[in-house]
Amino acid sequence: MADELLFIDRDVNLTAAISVYLARQQFRVTCANTWESASGHLNGHSVCIIIADPDLPDGDSRERLTGFKSERPHIPLIITGGPENLESLMEHFQATALCYLPKPLKSIELDIALQHARDSLTLNRKIHQYKKRIDDLHQGQTLYRQLFDEVPCYISVQDKEFRLTATNRLFKRDFGHQIGDHCYKTYKHRNSPCPDCPVAKTFNDGWHHQTEEVVTSRAGKQYNVLTWTAPIRDGNGEITQVMEVATNITQIRRLQDQLTSLGLMLGSMSHGVKGMLTALDGGVYQLETGIRKKDPVRVELAFDRIQQMVGRVRKMVLEILYYAKSRGMQYETTPVDAFIRMVAQTIEPAVNAHGIIFDVKIAGDAGAFEIDPNWFQQALVNFLENAVDACVTDTEKPEHRIDLSVLPDGEEEVIITIGDDGIGMDAETRQKMFTLFFSSKGSKGTGLGLFIAHHIIRQHDGSIAISSEYGKGTALEIRVPRHRMVKSLTTESLM
Amino acid sequence: MGKKILVIDDDPAVVEYLTTLFEDNGYATCSARDASEGLEVARREQPDLITLDLEMPGEWGPRFYRKMSEEKTLKNTPVIVISGLSGHKYAINKAVASISKPFDRDELLRIVQENIV
Repeated sequence: MADELLFIDRDVNLTAAISVYLARQQFRVTCANTWESASGHLNGHSVCIIIADPDLPDGDSRERLTGFKSERPHIPLIITGGPENLESLMEHFQATALCYLPKPLKSIELDIALQHARDSLTLNRKIHQYKKRIDDLHQGQTLYRQLFDEVPCYISVQDKEFRLTATNRLFKRDFGHQIGDHCYKTYKHRNSPCPDCPVAKTFNDGWHHQTEEVVTSRAGKQYNVLTWTAPIRDGNGEITQVMEVATNITQIRRLQDQLTSLGLMLGSMSHGVKGMLTALDGGVYQLETGIRKKDPVRVELAFDRIQQMVGRVRKMVLEILYYAKSRGMQYETTPVDAFIRMVAQTIEPAVNAHGIIFDVKIAGDAGAFEIDPNWFQQALVNFLENAVDACVTDTEKPEHRIDLSVLPDGEEEVIITIGDDGIGMDAETRQKMFTLFFSSKGSKGTGLGLFIAHHIIRQHDGSIAISSEYGKGTALEIRVPRHRMVKSLTTESLM
Repeated sequence: MGKKILVIDDDPAVVEYLTTLFEDNGYATCSARDASEGLEVARREQPDLITLDLEMPGEWGPRFYRKMSEEKTLKNTPVIVISGLSGHKYAINKAVASISKPFDRDELLRIVQENIV
């Protein structure tokens, strides 16, 4: 579209002649011979270039033109005037005007001035566009930065060496500000990349990958996170970095834990329930046959039995309801020797079934300790079952052994060790081993056993030290105080 | 006189149920409430079949089975494991059958009939 040019001059003949000339130069020309008519056009907003001899018949048009120009600095202004006026015009307009043309106007001078005006116009338009773009970009960047920071997930951007190149606010809060550090070090306190790293996979194939991980914050807290990765490509489409978004799902897991622990508790009571149901069956059988045989003694006996069994079922159901609410520990002073032997006996069938050498050593007089025998037994059996599984999984060695010992030097505490020469664990498995639903056993594991066992030991104010090496075996050292610190303590629920 | 079955279970209500059931079906019975008593009764009574619970106070079912297997007159006696433990399948490999509590009465009688010599 042609640029609109406003030609202002009091001389009607001049404006008419020039406008013909300018129209040939592809301008849409509007002429004004008074300020009144000029200002009407100027306020129409569509004027692109102004050529003016400001000395108009009506009023102080120099001042008005200056005022107008200051409002629209991007419109090029070409001033013309008789040679006698030109100097004073220059003084007045100074740099406000693009250039000054003396009258009579020469076509070459006019052409050059108009070319300048057009260039200036184009330049102005470009600058305007760029400015707008920069503003948009800046606004966009601020928005993305804000989004990046405020997203309630841990976001990290990593290079090919798994070094963190950018992290968001939440990440910095929980894992520290460690640009340049390795992801595996920050997230998992490891010294080498994790197996099955989703970031590595995305670098390889450019697709999104998802995993569930357990990470350790700088405060030492463990979080369950769901990670999701996305490639970041450069201008050539090469993947230069990968973004990892990790959502903290610890809360959800905790909720699941609670439901599961209820299920687990019911499971642990199922043996008792099954026995009672069998006995109840017996009562019903005797009632049935007693009536059929018309044997009043048997009927009466059957009735007694059923009543007795209903009482037992009732008691157990009430117990289940009680435990489901708060898992109280029933501490009893228990002789260590007899207790450990009972635990050993429980695991013996499993050990024997796999031809594993099982050695139980109890040093001297092991004394007694205050524990909940049922729960504590469950914890130890759980560790031993894991030792059996570790031996069975390891097919490298011709035979395996498991050692269960009570160490002699425990005055204030009882020290129980469980050692096996099974498959062992790597650093990551060791870090995750007490996490709910973490299992290294694939479809065979539920990820429940060690989690519960760990909680039970903790509820006894005990501690577990683990040393393990992949391919070599695992050693656990469990320390439990002999006496309860606070007798009347309301035991924390399992969760 | 019918064949004799030894019932070993620590729950007297279960013992009573099993012995009554077997007697009603023409078997003679004897019972024991733990592993050591079971061994004693087995030696004395020389039963034709034994039903064995796994989890009992004192010695457990598997140990009873090992001791029993060491005795010439008992080692060929068929054993049926009747237990509420979920992992009982591997506990005694040589048992002729493993039944979970609560059990189906007719199925138990059928297994007894098939295995009693």
